[in-house]
Amino acid sequence: MDLKDFLRKVELFDGLTETELEKVAAICEERRFHRGDLLTKQGTPGEELFIVTKGFVEVFLEAPQRVVVNLGAGQIVGEMALVDQGLSSATVRAVEEPTITQGIHFEQFEQLFQQDASIGFKIIRNIAADLSFKLRHRNLSER
Amino acid sequence: MTIYKVSYVVIGMDHPGGIANLDHKPYVGEQVRLSDLTLEILEVLEIMPARGGFHYYHVTCQPLPTEISSDGSHQPSS
Repeated sequence: MDLKDFLRKVELFDGLTETELEKVAAICEERRFHRGDLLTKQGTPGEELFIVTKGFVEVFLEAPQRVVVNLGAGQIVGEMALVDQGLSSATVRAVEEPTITQGIHFEQFEQLFQQDASIGFKIIRNIAADLSFKLRHRNLSER
Repeated sequence: MTIYKVSYVVIGMDHPGGIANLDHKPYVGEQVRLSDLTLEILEVLEIMPARGGFHYYHVTCQPLPTEISSDGSHQPSS
């Protein structure tokens, strides 16, 4: 599938025009992970936002270790560190072979937001919606 | 283009569930893969109004009997 076609199906980019999607596609980098590979490590500086293209990742908290959610196609990882610039809040590990993502470095995101405030507004709004959905999922799983 | 963003909650075992996009609306009785687990959907609820081409669903599901050992733990598929 064409990268732009895939990005169009990711909620993070909902509302972006074709031109805006092209700008995002230009800064995406495909990353392939084997089962067990880490995408992020809890407590370390986040540098990249990942969009799961294929496979699944599990998000887990250290000490005591517990998996909090599995994320599959179209889901994003690393958005909290992008928004608050804090350390990674959890460790994220690939659990399917292979797991493929599109990665975008925070610096490139920031540059894009500075160049085009419309893209920045839409993506930050969509990140808020994604965080809301994750919170709803967590509330439902703890019923 | 319609995308279904689905929150999966697993009952009957200790499992955190997950979130994934589907290209169709999930339905009761459907078998789905969540990471290394095959599940059957028991309940489907729309949890937020659709926005743009995205629809938001919550499903409750249970592992297929073959996925659980006699002690109630998960047996990963090979």
